[in-house]
This record gives sequence, structure tokens and C-alpha cells, in this order.
Amino acid sequence: MKIAISGKGGSGKTTISATLARMFARQGHPVLAIDGDPNPNLGVALGLNAGQLARLQPIPRDVAKREQDPDGKFRLVITKSVEEITDNHAVTGPDGVRVLMGSRVDHPGAG
Amino acid sequence: MGEIVGSAESVTVMDMEASLEHLSRGTVRHVDALLVVAEPYYRALETAGRTVPLARGLGIERIYAIANKLRSAEDEKAVMDYCRNHNLEVIAAIPFDEDVATADRMGCAVIDYDASARLVTEVGRLADTLRSMVSGNGLVDKEPLPGEATGRC
Repeated sequence: MKIAISGKGGSGKTTISATLARMFARQGHPVLAIDGDPNPNLGVALGLNAGQLARLQPIPRDVAKREQDPDGKFRLVITKSVEEITDNHAVTGPDGVRVLMGSRVDHPGAG
Repeated sequence: MGEIVGSAESVTVMDMEASLEHLSRGTVRHVDALLVVAEPYYRALETAGRTVPLARGLGIERIYAIANKLRSAEDEKAVMDYCRNHNLEVIAAIPFDEDVATADRMGCAVIDYDASARLVTEVGRLADTLRSMVSGNGLVDKEPLPGEATGRC
């Protein structure tokens, strides 16, 4: 099951995302939490400790490349498998929740 | 027990950025549900409202609102009315919870600060709802894992 959570900054979406991830994990599901916010703080909200937070780094840019659509629009295409990305870059936090921090690409002017 | 846990469906939770404008159809094609967090004031509701047609345009079928930081029955009514007018179902209503700010000040997860916080209770209910709505009934009943103390909160 894949759940995406959006909302205005300060709406509480990160707190809700983190708590939802922890609750699913406590219910016995393997959980992957992805921080897709350009101002990332999902790790803290999930309760990662200092060491885990230090290890949580943005996914390197080479996992995605820009491709041009037939209609001329650029988009990002993942070049590695999700398993490969997760195995190499996810940090395991409380309740066994695995966390990935999104790649800081494609956001001119963000943050 | 291990076998039961092993057979459980995996869950991916994505904390998105506020705006979905830059997302391509491919990025969100496999999302089973988009939850839009809405606070009971005008600009937050407008932001949530703008997200919905965009998300529908990207091909996401299940889009729900989460009413958050509700301090009163009037707050709840404001979100409910807005969502009804915008054809958006409210999947969870979460009261304003001082524990959230306190946990944040301490740099820890709400669930570690107080596992019985109102937000945690409501989000637990939300997880149950999502399991039944999105996954159908194919899930094996699992014994909940004991919470893990992080020793920070």
C-alpha cells in the first residue's frame, strides 16, 4: 500500500506521516517512509536518534536522470531499482521503520 | 509470529512537499491514496482545495482530507463544510494536541513522547481505516508489535 501525504507547510503533515508510519509498523507491516519535502524533517518526527539522523542523507542524484517527453516536458526517471535504492540509502529507525530522504534535484528556488 | 509479520503487506508513506505542481504522472501513478492535510483556516483550506483537481489530473483516484488541529466544533465544521463543497471526503479529524508541540520542542516523535496522545490515537484509527479501504480484506490479522522505547523521550 502506498500512501502520499500533502498539505501546506505547518499543517502537521510531517507529524501525521511519521505517526502513521510508526503505527503501521507497530501493526506488523514493513514500512518505508519517504521524505519528499524540500525542507526535510521527517527523520526527527519519526524519532530517529542523532546517529540515525546523521546517516540519513539525500538519495544521490545519479539514481534519477532527466528525460524529455515527446511533448518536450522534462521529467525525472529512476535509473535504479527501489530495492537497490532502499538497501543502499535507507536508515532504519524506531519500530523498524525504514526512512529515505528524497533526492534534492529539480527544485530551483526551493528551500 | 515471524511468519505472520513476514506475510504482511508493506506500506510506503510519502511526506510530500506542499505543492504538487512539479509532480509528473509517473511519480504518483502507483499511489493508492493521497491524504491532504487541512487546517481550519481559509488559506490552508484553499491550498488543500487546489491540490485536489491537480491530484485527480495526475490520475490519483483516492483522495481524502485529514482535518487537523481542530480546537472546537466550529473548527471541525469549517473543514467539513469546505470539503463537502469541494467533493472531498474527510477520512480523519484530529483535535489540536499540545503534545505535538511539546514533543517537537524536545526533538522527539509524538508517539515516543506519549503513545496515548490524541493525535496518536486518531492516526492509529486512520491506519485501520486505510488498511480496510485501500487493501481490501486480504490482510492477515497481525499481533501488534510492542512499541520500542527510544530512550530519548
